[in-house]
Amino acid sequence: MKYPLTLKVNGETYRLEVKPHRSLLEVLRDELDLTGTNDGCRTGNCGACTVLVDGAPIPSCLMLALDAEGHEITTIEALSAGGELHPLQRAFVQRGAIQCGYCTPGMILSAYALLQENPRPTEAEVRRALVGNLCRCTGYVKIIEAVLAAAEEMASADVGSR
Amino acid sequence: MSTFSIIGKRIPKPDAIPKATGQIIYGHDVKVPRMLYGKILRSPLPHARILHIDTSRAERLSGVKAVITAKDLPPRRFGYGRDRTPLKGDKVRRCGDEVAAVAAIDEDIAEEALELIRVEYDPLPAVFDPQAALRPDAPLIHEDRESNLFRHQEYVHGEPDRALEEADVVVEDEFDLGYVQPAPLETSFCLAAFDASGKLTVWSTTQIPFLLQKDLSEALGIPGRDIRVIQTAIGGSFGRGLDMYSFEPICVWLARKAGRPVRLAFTRQEEFAVSEARQSMRIWARAGAMRDGRLWVREAKVLLDNGAYVSWGTVTTLVLMETIGSLYRVPHARVVYDSVYTNNPITGAVRGFGNPQGTFVVEVQMDRLAEAIGMDPLEFRLRNANRPFEETPQGIKITTCGLTECLEEAARRIGWSEKRAAPSRRGAIARGVGIAATMNVGGGARIYRSDGCGCIVKVDDFGRVTVLTGATEIGQGSDVVVVQIVAEELGIRPEEITIVNDDTAVTPWDVGVHASRTTFIAGNAALRAARQVKAQILETAEELLGASAAELELRDGYVRIREAPEQRIPFDKVVRARHFRQGGQVIIGHGWYDPHNEMLGPDGKGNISATYGFGAQAVEVEVDVETGKVRPLRVVSAHDVGRAINPMYVEGQIEGGTVMGLGYALSEHLQVHEGRVLNLTPFDYRMPTIMDAPPIETVIIETDDPEGPFGAKGVGEMGTNPTAAAVANAIYNAIGVRINSLPITPEKVLRALKERGS
Amino acid sequence: MRFFEYYAPKTLDEAIQLLVRHGEGAYPLAGGTDLVTKARYGHLRPRVIVNLKRIPGLNDIAPEEDGGLRLGALVTLAEIARSLLMGERYPLLAQTARKMGSVLIRNLATVGGNLCNAAPSADMAPPLIALGAEAVIVGPRGERRVRLEKFFHGPGQTELRHGELLTAIRLPPPRPRTRGVYLKHIYRQAMDIAIVGVAVLLQFDEQEAIAEDARIVLGAVAPTPLRVPEAESVLIGAPLTEDRRLEAARRAARAARPIDDTYSSAWYRREMVGVLTRRALEHLVSHSPER
Repeated sequence: MKYPLTLKVNGETYRLEVKPHRSLLEVLRDELDLTGTNDGCRTGNCGACTVLVDGAPIPSCLMLALDAEGHEITTIEALSAGGELHPLQRAFVQRGAIQCGYCTPGMILSAYALLQENPRPTEAEVRRALVGNLCRCTGYVKIIEAVLAAAEEMASADVGSR
Repeated sequence: MSTFSIIGKRIPKPDAIPKATGQIIYGHDVKVPRMLYGKILRSPLPHARILHIDTSRAERLSGVKAVITAKDLPPRRFGYGRDRTPLKGDKVRRCGDEVAAVAAIDEDIAEEALELIRVEYDPLPAVFDPQAALRPDAPLIHEDRESNLFRHQEYVHGEPDRALEEADVVVEDEFDLGYVQPAPLETSFCLAAFDASGKLTVWSTTQIPFLLQKDLSEALGIPGRDIRVIQTAIGGSFGRGLDMYSFEPICVWLARKAGRPVRLAFTRQEEFAVSEARQSMRIWARAGAMRDGRLWVREAKVLLDNGAYVSWGTVTTLVLMETIGSLYRVPHARVVYDSVYTNNPITGAVRGFGNPQGTFVVEVQMDRLAEAIGMDPLEFRLRNANRPFEETPQGIKITTCGLTECLEEAARRIGWSEKRAAPSRRGAIARGVGIAATMNVGGGARIYRSDGCGCIVKVDDFGRVTVLTGATEIGQGSDVVVVQIVAEELGIRPEEITIVNDDTAVTPWDVGVHASRTTFIAGNAALRAARQVKAQILETAEELLGASAAELELRDGYVRIREAPEQRIPFDKVVRARHFRQGGQVIIGHGWYDPHNEMLGPDGKGNISATYGFGAQAVEVEVDVETGKVRPLRVVSAHDVGRAINPMYVEGQIEGGTVMGLGYALSEHLQVHEGRVLNLTPFDYRMPTIMDAPPIETVIIETDDPEGPFGAKGVGEMGTNPTAAAVANAIYNAIGVRINSLPITPEKVLRALKERGS
Repeated sequence: MRFFEYYAPKTLDEAIQLLVRHGEGAYPLAGGTDLVTKARYGHLRPRVIVNLKRIPGLNDIAPEEDGGLRLGALVTLAEIARSLLMGERYPLLAQTARKMGSVLIRNLATVGGNLCNAAPSADMAPPLIALGAEAVIVGPRGERRVRLEKFFHGPGQTELRHGELLTAIRLPPPRPRTRGVYLKHIYRQAMDIAIVGVAVLLQFDEQEAIAEDARIVLGAVAPTPLRVPEAESVLIGAPLTEDRRLEAARRAARAARPIDDTYSSAWYRREMVGVLTRRALEHLVSHSPER
């Protein structure tokens, strides 16, 4: 048996019928083909499936899809929707913060949420914000560098635009 | 050295943007029409006879399209020891052994179907301790063998017995090194589909696409020429993917029986429970030195727990032998090992492949010897460091060797001379520094009859260059390295190159991504192919520019006369000029590189790699003496990589390897009780988080290897090898306590402190 | 995961009726960090899930007339960590929330979920008990209140009977000159489940020299959170000398009833109770940095 679900993702509204035990992760990937959200552990331990719900990063494997009704969901695909990379994406690319890339979308979304709240974080704040996003490849060094560099770029762009 | 235009540049991987935007396609993302979902029923018991399997209820469940057991499969064995079948028919030998599999229209139904399968087991006595498994009365795990001993090997050089008597000091230790998992973020994946003519395509997270072709063929009796392996983007690997595993032929057979494509992806729980872990080893070791600072002898007896079946991972002992026999100049050495079957989880390949274990033993004992003769441990290491262009008694022909520079740099940057002499203590917090070195194969490793890689470079009419390489990409950056090598040789921009590296039907053969070999081997193959292309370009350009090839160079997208660079023709124009004329030709170059390394002889001797990488790590730690908790504060990691084709990803390998090494040292531990894995989530397994990763300073030492492509050597595993030893040595420096069992948990540290009576 | 029926009632009454009607296989859903994981891996087989998040009022942090606070059961750990009101009145709770899980988990997990899950290691329990919190329980027969100390019956076992819901935590008004700390011992630098958790709350006299009241509550060392009156009593009414602090720590360690499990041995847990209790007291007395 399926239940009706109205889901708002990346600014679009989808009317779906889903099984009640489907997680938001499964619906994003299987129904909406938003495969940038990765399936890593399904226990909220790894952060590969991070999406933003009303701007807050959560592990989408732990949220029932039906529970997401009424909320604004943002996935990695939204960040470069205009065809241009977000400064965070650019910094991750240019600074070697991406190896296998499986953690990358979640990592970038967690960093994005951090920078929304705190545009000039310290290194310690970056670490605290990303602690739920595991990376097995990079040793995190270049990820921290990339987030700090993107923050700087965004902040100076902000100043410039004023 | 600044003559390079592309080599040495920090250029992003070609797949970095698709990965940053979520567009990349991993195995888990692949969907094909009519695809089914496969699941495996696994044994809950570590050792039992299978009396009966009843699949009838599962078969009747609506949505189930195939159910298979051992009797459906051809009776063929596979694996390094030819000791297993994909599905087990007679008995199970470990928890998690595969007994049946289903394919259904969705995952829920597949899971439900598994619950409907009834298996009757007759439990057998099991053995979980490798020592106990060697006793004559131990339960025999494989009935066609005489005992549970898989292999006994002895390696000797010099006269270790005499040397142990001669040595002024001898230290002796027992080491207990636990299981760790590669634990990449993407779990194991396979999708199998047959076309109407019976040809098989497999999408896979494998590291060995061409051997997988062969292994699947042997396991299932499908001709190898009918098997095509496509590698999707792979979400990390670290050794998980170096063998064919049971789930792969099972997935293929489900697809055959169902007549539809079948996808089989591990859950994270399965990944922890059944994917192959780094060998747990018990090592008893002695080492001796002379008072004047000469390292004199080493001896190690190794008990390796294979688990229920052996994989290529059992070959890790060769690497361990090499570390014990050849890291530092050691005139006398003996290594004896037994690799043993137990009813424990299967062990396999994990980054470092025996080297993290061997390096832990060597480097802890180097510190102990230095202490015993009253010499600074750095000084002791420098005295005995391997030197360039010398052959070790093991037959390892070292070419370039920056070990001395690595040790000196790592020590200098950590502040060795001030900190080592005076470990600090403030309240409950003690600080100390430690150092450890590593030697790793850096020019392939011939464990297979071919250690080669092929490459094809072709150029289209518009000057776009396509590189078809056998090199497997698992995130490490082999793609960008190959692109940079070709771009440098052809004088074009990396953006003008498309790399294809994911399809056995398209790319030339490669033995697989392992042993830190890809930059060296695939890089040399690419260089050879690019040189052919260059020769073809120059041949045509000679006519067009009226100059000899020797006077021409390829630079910035042009062929030009070196002494008169204004006389130039665009690269693509040369390509078209060669193509569109009577008797014209398209430009294709091919390269094959198989290094001149040797398989080790039965005595364990020989030059297994065409060159060797060296490195040293210095670590500063903080130990809370009241809780035993260790916090790494800083790591300096200095590595001789020959030449950094792309320093950004060289650093990436070292930084990532180091944090993996820190996990091995301090937190990661696959806990196994009576054959059953207890910790099945990244949480419980304690993978390092971003808070656990200290600042890491990477120092790249370039020695310009004569055989390496543009002087490069391999680097993939070196970051992981020395870390645990460096940490253990730093802990000793801080609090005077030695922990010889990994991981060094707070509880072990506290217990040791209490026992010593601090 | 297996199929279940799903309901998202808009009132508490409706939720309770649903739980009563569907009996034992019906589970309330709050943050889901625990329930969804257990359902996914078959540790629980819910037939019905009743999502509580659409019920107004359950996720409020509301000041009460007596100066206390009503903490809705569905308030997330992130909200507790962020709430100005909480930071002002009960900084101990905000501090505890920040030590739990990751940002990702804190954005989903709720205080009610942490308590109802009743893991012996539940981080929210020791500080809430130390603060004298009450559980507000609503069921088919109306509302009742239980001191949080009495709420836990064993691992996974609580005071809740089927059909009852924990709707809020009531906190008494903050007492003057009171300082508290929750120390959590873990192996990694973050994320882990507590090997030991120790909450200590001290109310000082006017001179800040003597404790008028003391609460010590331990987590992860007994089937339920453990208050240690015999350690508290050492600290009350006399100067908080090092000897007294050590004695309190010793008594706390003695009172612990830890077990061996995959995370730690009982021996180590008991040792850590002593160390953490002593450190918590040092921190509160001397304002020394928290370790």
